[in-house]
Amino acid sequence: MLGVGPFGPRGPEAQPVGGGRDAHSLRTRPGAPFRSSEVETLAEERQAWVVLATVDGVGERTLAHLVATHGTARRVLWLAARGRLGRGLASEPERRRGVLAAATLAGIEAAAQDPGARLAALAAAAVWTVTLLDADYPARLQTLLVPPPVLFGQGDPRALDAPRAVAIVGTRRASPAGRFEASRAAAGLAARGVTVVSGLAIGIDGAAHAAALEAGGTTLAAIGAGHARPGPAAHRALVRRILERGAVIGELPPAARASRGTYPRRNRLIVALADAVLVVEAPARSGALITAHLAMEQGVPLYVVPGRATSELSAGCRALLDEGSGHAFGGARELCRELGWEDTSVDVGQSGGGAVVDPAGCLTCDPAAAVFSSDAARDGFAGLTGTGPGAACRVAAGGPRHDAAVLPALSMPEREVARIVARGPITMDQLLDATRASPGELAATLTLLQLRGLVRSMGPLYLPAGRLLLTAP
Amino acid sequence: MLATLITAVVDGLEGALVRVEVDVAPGLPVCQIVGLPDAALSEARERVRGAIRNSGFLYPQQRITVNLAPAGRRKHGAAYDVAIAVGILVASGQVAASGGDWALLGELSLSGAVHPVAGVLPMVHTLARAGARRVGVPAANAAEAALVDGLEIEPLLGLDDAARLVAGPRGRRAAKATRAAFVAVSGTFDERAAGAALVGSDPPVDLADVRGQAAARWGLEVALAGGHSLLLVGPPGAGKTLLARTIPGLLPPLDEREALEVTVIASVAGLLGPGDGLRRARPFRAPHHTASYPALVGGGPRLAPGEVSLAHTGVLFLDELAEFDRDVLEALRQPLEEGSVVIARAQGSLRFPAQVQLVAAMNPCRCGYHGDPERACTCPPGEPERYVRRISGPLLDRLDLRVEMPRVRPADLLLGPDPEPSAAAAVRIASARERAQSRNGGRLNARLAGREAVELCRLAPSARELLAVVAARRSLSARGVHRILRVARTIADLADREAVLEADLLAAADLRDPAAALRPELAA
Repeated sequence: MLGVGPFGPRGPEAQPVGGGRDAHSLRTRPGAPFRSSEVETLAEERQAWVVLATVDGVGERTLAHLVATHGTARRVLWLAARGRLGRGLASEPERRRGVLAAATLAGIEAAAQDPGARLAALAAAAVWTVTLLDADYPARLQTLLVPPPVLFGQGDPRALDAPRAVAIVGTRRASPAGRFEASRAAAGLAARGVTVVSGLAIGIDGAAHAAALEAGGTTLAAIGAGHARPGPAAHRALVRRILERGAVIGELPPAARASRGTYPRRNRLIVALADAVLVVEAPARSGALITAHLAMEQGVPLYVVPGRATSELSAGCRALLDEGSGHAFGGARELCRELGWEDTSVDVGQSGGGAVVDPAGCLTCDPAAAVFSSDAARDGFAGLTGTGPGAACRVAAGGPRHDAAVLPALSMPEREVARIVARGPITMDQLLDATRASPGELAATLTLLQLRGLVRSMGPLYLPAGRLLLTAP
Repeated sequence: MLATLITAVVDGLEGALVRVEVDVAPGLPVCQIVGLPDAALSEARERVRGAIRNSGFLYPQQRITVNLAPAGRRKHGAAYDVAIAVGILVASGQVAASGGDWALLGELSLSGAVHPVAGVLPMVHTLARAGARRVGVPAANAAEAALVDGLEIEPLLGLDDAARLVAGPRGRRAAKATRAAFVAVSGTFDERAAGAALVGSDPPVDLADVRGQAAARWGLEVALAGGHSLLLVGPPGAGKTLLARTIPGLLPPLDEREALEVTVIASVAGLLGPGDGLRRARPFRAPHHTASYPALVGGGPRLAPGEVSLAHTGVLFLDELAEFDRDVLEALRQPLEEGSVVIARAQGSLRFPAQVQLVAAMNPCRCGYHGDPERACTCPPGEPERYVRRISGPLLDRLDLRVEMPRVRPADLLLGPDPEPSAAAAVRIASARERAQSRNGGRLNARLAGREAVELCRLAPSARELLAVVAARRSLSARGVHRILRVARTIADLADREAVLEADLLAAADLRDPAAALRPELAA
């Protein structure tokens, strides 16, 4: 490739590929038949798109403009490698708007010197790309007025084409109640095979991603930064877990840093990737409201958790409901019904059989469970083991670990406490009032429930987690 | 003529002997004090002259040289005043020393009255060991001096008392000595009452006054029963400070040995009031978060004990922990670990005891409402994590228990049964401490080494496995496992049980690891 340029000895053809003559439309007809040489050129052209997209300052407008002006991206790079890109570039009004800043031009020229290195760096960072030239460009993003020409992603690309997806968004300053609502909605949706889409921010986004994964589901994170720093440091472990079963995608190259404008742009991806948008908690001025308005613009159904009437953190949600823009959220099951999705799952606690997973460890097949069973026999921690070893555990089959209902598997005190915690965040003092147990007894019960992954603590509060999120009324 | 007297000086918590030599010789009427005196000591000249004149003696119009030996040791304070004055009287022939093994301590006022000084207890102790039989101490310090066995304490009200003590029954001149009537130009005052602080001397709170917070009350009870250090986290108004102020009423009184140590430290710090004898109450010290390094740890020009030593055998309460200076908190690590403070100086190092139980309180974030069920936190995202990180990880590691306190619901303040009073909890705490100390060789559970904690818990095999599960699920370090064992031991002691059961381990595991707050991934 070197010496004769990246596009063969004759240089790039001056013909645009896929009929993308319109400066602001890079749309192709996916799946159009190509002859083998055309396939080869198409592969080279998509690589050229990716290389251009890795340049800081090249967004979809610049890329579209460059390709429209020069015919193909390969020709853009070919010209740039020879320092001839600057000439005859933009129309007069665009030149005046400074479409191609000097720094961007320099960046393109640098990239054009060694496009292979750019591609290798992406591969080394385990970042895959999908471009508008590809047949498998996500259909959901095609609906956007200006779809991102190149999408960077990590994890499983199939998550982009999930048949059912719901976005859950909300404030970063989430209250425990808000986190609980987000977790419960995400777990309920995930248990029904719905992919949960969110933005990887702390607060509501993080709670939604984590609960979807805990419920054994898939989750998709759209980020407003590069993949080198996909989200807040506190979410590093969460990102690792998302990549195991979902994907993290964004339209910025890996090294890009987040800035003011990048998050609203990410929000349009979140909306496009989902069949419905659920706003869990949003104060009067919140980025989540931008997402809500994008959903309205794009005709995506909008659902809203009303929140407590006095909570300032739900002021934005109430405004959405007041102006009639969103529907009140009535639980994952109702949401699925309203979207016309057949319910394949049955809520835990009502009957057996359902896509319900206890990620924190199945007590019927986990070796640790044996400990509980021996305790149970001796010290009256009766019924700690659930339905007995191997009852319905399908770990080997890759399916849900077991389908036992949660509450009947627990000891009496645990069941009592679990039932109360399932209603929402609660302090130990309130639990003491409700159960009449001593603080020591209650603390022991809460530890057991935490070990089972059914309860987690956050500050002074205990919240339902794992399967307990699915037992909601 | 030359007079030599014995007195003492405080060095750390120990006394040391100092010889006062006074030479009165013909020459210009000047008085010079040599032997590394500080400013207060150099000014003794003026106090001594006034005191001598106002006690009916003559101040010799001759050259007076006062040497404090050993000359190499720095000396400070006014405790030598009486000895210097008596030395001048003896050297100028106004008082005939009758001999005998006596020593003198005390500060003089111009009127000749003797004022109390700090550190009398260790100084008298040193004098007794050196063979003194009679020691004249300021009358206000007589009670603490009397704690030292085997010698006669002479309370001194004025220089005349000291002169009589030195002259013995046959000292005729001394018998004529008088004490100047205190000319009260502005009336008389009760100096002792004036010493009572207006601020910072909040009376202890009874648990009956703390409404709600049942979980935190339990956490505090476990902490005090085992000597476990405790971190209270909660928004403003949760009652963290109020709960901490119940601690003095919950701690058992000091035993004899502890009482003497505490009294010595209080004496050196000058905290013993007039007439105060042995301290019986366990110390509870609550320094403000602006406290400086020497104030907290000890040292400074006078090498005084810091708050951490003043709280020896008791509780050091640090309110608003995150607001303390980071370096000052760092300096607490070593005392918390070793139970003593070592202050190194060029002339040598000093050791103050500092076996304290640390109780700290802090807000969860800068605005205080992070994680509050009702109120929105106004901190920018990420700020709560930064706030906790102000406290260093190693210090958080020294904290055994973390209790989260929610804001009290208004209903709890008005409704519900009356909370249990302190007296009931104090009985349980005292009996649990007794049980632990008789088993642990006098130590509380918090002071058990890791291996001892394992042995003394005598866990059943199933309980061991349970602990292994807890450790695996929470990724606990060995320190974390031992922490749970010690706390579980205390929970069993509170239940008056020798066996540590699974339920105790589980309950101990719920009293969370303060260091866990530092791991943002867990908090998120």
